[in-house]
Amino acid sequence: MAVRMIKQTAIIVVLALACSMAMAQTPAPSPKRPEVRVAQRPSAPQVVTIVHRLNGLKMFRMLLRSQQQVQAINSLETNFSLMDDVHTNVIAGVTMDDGETIAAWLPEANLEFAPPGVAGSFGESPYPDFKFRLSDPPDVSVFGPDGKQLAAKYVGFDATTGLSILVLDAKSSLPPSTAKDEPVTPGENVVLFGPEPITNTQSLLDNNNLYVRIGSTAGRIQNVLPSPTGEVARLRVSAPRLSHANIGGVALNEAGETVGIVDGLLGNEATVLPTASIRRAAQRVLKNRSSVPRAWLGVKGEAVSTLQLTQFLNLGWAADRAATLTGEHRGIMLTSIVPGSPAARALLRAGDVILKVDDKEIQNADDFTWWLDQAGAANSVRFTVARPNQLAQEAFNIRLSGILDPAAGFGFRNSFPLNKGLSLLSQGAETIALRPAVANQLGTTAGLLIIYVQSGTPAAEAGLRPGDVIQSIDGKPVSALNRTTQLKPPMTLQVMRAKEKLTIKLSPPTQQQ
Amino acid sequence: MKDKRCEPVRRELEELMLSEDFSAATGAHLRTCTDCREFQRQQTKLRQIVGGLGTVNAPPDFDFRLRARLVADAEAPSFRFWTFTVKGLATAAVLVVFGVGAIVVWQRGHEPQSPAVAVTPPPQVEQPVLREEPNRTASTDAHEHFVTSVIADNATPSRRKPERQRVASTPKRTVSSVDFSSERATVISNTRPAVNNATVIPIEASLQSVKVSLDDGRGNERTISFPTVSFGSQRVLTSANQFAPKGAW
Repeated sequence: MAVRMIKQTAIIVVLALACSMAMAQTPAPSPKRPEVRVAQRPSAPQVVTIVHRLNGLKMFRMLLRSQQQVQAINSLETNFSLMDDVHTNVIAGVTMDDGETIAAWLPEANLEFAPPGVAGSFGESPYPDFKFRLSDPPDVSVFGPDGKQLAAKYVGFDATTGLSILVLDAKSSLPPSTAKDEPVTPGENVVLFGPEPITNTQSLLDNNNLYVRIGSTAGRIQNVLPSPTGEVARLRVSAPRLSHANIGGVALNEAGETVGIVDGLLGNEATVLPTASIRRAAQRVLKNRSSVPRAWLGVKGEAVSTLQLTQFLNLGWAADRAATLTGEHRGIMLTSIVPGSPAARALLRAGDVILKVDDKEIQNADDFTWWLDQAGAANSVRFTVARPNQLAQEAFNIRLSGILDPAAGFGFRNSFPLNKGLSLLSQGAETIALRPAVANQLGTTAGLLIIYVQSGTPAAEAGLRPGDVIQSIDGKPVSALNRTTQLKPPMTLQVMRAKEKLTIKLSPPTQQQ
Repeated sequence: MKDKRCEPVRRELEELMLSEDFSAATGAHLRTCTDCREFQRQQTKLRQIVGGLGTVNAPPDFDFRLRARLVADAEAPSFRFWTFTVKGLATAAVLVVFGVGAIVVWQRGHEPQSPAVAVTPPPQVEQPVLREEPNRTASTDAHEHFVTSVIADNATPSRRKPERQRVASTPKRTVSSVDFSSERATVISNTRPAVNNATVIPIEASLQSVKVSLDDGRGNERTISFPTVSFGSQRVLTSANQFAPKGAW
């Protein structure tokens, strides 16, 4: 009897074990794991990897132009070198239909150009030949889908989209790719492609090599944001676990067509610049054969629809007129004007409300941006403006200026204020002070290190170069000059260049300049 | 001396925010209970200390390191826990079968045969195993096929072989109430190599972060550390320059 019970128990145990194992074999759907449809992932022959390297001088530019308050460099790590690579950015690029033109959203592209505040970088340039030229070609390498390096040339930066445009040598061109302009529909699946580090090797750095490959993230188009003209202005794509590393990634649909480039993050969604905008940016830069600024008015403001009544009252508006304006939900209230800008010259003031651009109603900030971009730099635009102190609307014909970075007029946080203080920005040179210890480390002497020289400016004409260290100005050591000293040409500079002392005379701009 | 009221009072004190007042009943209790007053004083002081702490900013290369870790996790072999569990279960099952077999053999050897024993068919013990075998093979084949296609898609061939063998021999992991505290966090990975033969590009770059000491012109010195490699738009420093900024034209 006991034996039978043992046997039956054993059978039940074995059966139970077998059943549990059989059940374990059956895959259960995981609520946490998103559906990954391997078969529908497109290949991405049009996606290239772009490596943008910054040397020590450019890193100093980054420090100086950042929100860090920087007056001088106190110390550096021993391996820091001015001319060697200090930082490397790895990002995706997309080849256009011709297989030769590449568009990429390089986040540090601005370091290749004039700093905000340098003569002519915004407002009316005193130098007619100022064309946002590159002083030196950026150190940019392009790797094709097969991992081979491709010969490419950086052509310029499109300030309207923030895209950098490169062109491959004819021998390096890739097969033409297809792009999907319109229509793009919400709910459509896309895949975001971008380079990512491979870190599962035992040693990430093998002989100082970082291993990178193109990775992909599945997403879905959530929204199509139209422009005032009905074109697609932006796409919003949701995908799990987005980060800033996804910015610059290339979005492809399931057919492998290019849908756009990720140019921002909004929470869990990526904003994607559509293909049509990318194509227009490439055309602008290629036509100009250099960087193309965006239209610049020189104002800061907010959409009327987002403002409180008290904000109108604070800027001099009568309560009844302010109530009418806020009720209409249209227009842009100007909150500040950049001195010397087209808006300042036209006598626009804080408190003015721009209602129309070339007879186009302005509903919100995106509308205003769109119509200014459509107008383009160096073109005249008619603004219809409501003002606090007059009942009738007023019309202004204003010639827009061009600028690479519209925030520059407001966001310049260098400890040297714009065009005043111990700064050579107005002469076309960007500088940073070096302490003696750092100067010794870099093989030079203490003083003002030149980190950028804008071509076509007095500094460039005088022969100043990035890497030069200004030791004295008009016989006075730089350390003895205080920050309120106004530096105006003519000036005589004592400069150290590669352990050689030079005397350089900085002259006022000539008539030709 | 603690009484019955101390416990709810202390719970209330623990749950209070810094700016909140306690209830009248708690106030009355605090007036009479020295221990709770001391408890309340310590709680308030602790909150003030914590509230006074500044926010801590992530290091500038945090995003890069996080992403690198996520990619590493995504590539790491999964199903580890299940592998262990299956092995354990299989071992237990084998031990049980052997144990039962030994008992049966022992019983047969030491007891006279009875009709009741003869009725119990030995194949019943083996039958599930025999039936299961083809099923398991089919399941494994299907799984292996799936894994193979995924790996072919993932493809860094030389590194993938051992993983394939391990994954192919293990069943899919199911969701269950298992303690994962000792396991590496599972990454809900939606990132994978883009193409079948995902090309690996070696890029000469250092991953050591660079430190620079700065003077802000007011006698303050700060050390900034920034990564030497960034992916996408991982900004190395918060820049004043933004393309297409909001509200500036």
